[in-house]
Amino acid sequence: MRQSLLPLFDWYGHTGLARVMSDSAALIATAQIIHLIGMALLIGTIMMVDLTMLGFGFKRHPVSRVARELAPWTWTGLAIMFATGPINLASETQRCYDSSFFWIKMGLILLAVAFHFTVHRRATLAEPPVLASKAKLIACVSLTLWFAIAIAAKFIGFYGEDLREALMSLAGQSIC
Amino acid sequence: MAHLILGFCQWLETTPPAVALRDSVWVFNLTEVVHTLGIIFVAGTIMLVDLRLLGLGLKRMPVSDVVSRIVPRTLWGFGLMFVTGGCLFSAEAVKLYNSPAFRIKLVLLSLAGLNALIFHRTIYRQAAAWDTALVVPPRARLAGLLSLILWMCIIAAGRAIAYGPGYDRT
Repeated sequence: MRQSLLPLFDWYGHTGLARVMSDSAALIATAQIIHLIGMALLIGTIMMVDLTMLGFGFKRHPVSRVARELAPWTWTGLAIMFATGPINLASETQRCYDSSFFWIKMGLILLAVAFHFTVHRRATLAEPPVLASKAKLIACVSLTLWFAIAIAAKFIGFYGEDLREALMSLAGQSIC
Repeated sequence: MAHLILGFCQWLETTPPAVALRDSVWVFNLTEVVHTLGIIFVAGTIMLVDLRLLGLGLKRMPVSDVVSRIVPRTLWGFGLMFVTGGCLFSAEAVKLYNSPAFRIKLVLLSLAGLNALIFHRTIYRQAAAWDTALVVPPRARLAGLLSLILWMCIIAAGRAIAYGPGYDRT
């Protein structure tokens, strides 16, 4: 599966966009910063809905109202991330292709987006609200998925090499 | 003054916990991960308050509800960010002392704190009068705008540290 995508990554790494991006540290940094701001917006809005379901957010407003009011900003955050993500990828196609964490991140994004627009959306907009225990479970899954994406993203930078090597180096260090 | 701070940084990074953190790539990286999660938490929540003050988000909720329910969560994140940030700083204090991006980040953080303090001590005291209004008084809107800009710049400065001397952009 991964290998069949190699030609695509090869091609993408040789496009004009990739050349322009990898030539300029300022452009790479700018794209990363915009990507991070999008992430704060995306995760911040979803987190506030999830915290409300967990009892740590709004008390006097139903979850459906919080979710509806924040939805446009969740969309904005998601749009910023999907616009800048591929641009960031252009600057380091080979490194991402080689990194297991990049593929883990992509898988988690598919899962998180699918979960968000189906189960999560139905539960947050439901009137009357879903059972508190069910809402709490859904909030926990949602928070775990989105934060796992952020963690995987950070790890792409740390470990360019294969997951196995990364784990071995972790194991080696904790033994020493 | 400058050499006093530098002296402190030099001492700090030779303390045993700082040395241990610097030498353990894996603990250091995990601390950095938690620090990043902390800033997403802080910026992600405070931005929602800012959007309310600017009349762009959470429009139908009273300002006092938005502030009283969101700001405590922001402070959770801030605690996380502050503790992990302090640990990371101790591990590479001299390198960060010499980083222009890090100095800018500290100034921006102070300004964001000052902005929040002024907002809470002044215009927010009279919030009862404009609690449910979509368009809040200019001073409250200004506080929201400044906060939004400052936190975006703090994220930018944090990322820029990795592009400075001695760092490899990760």
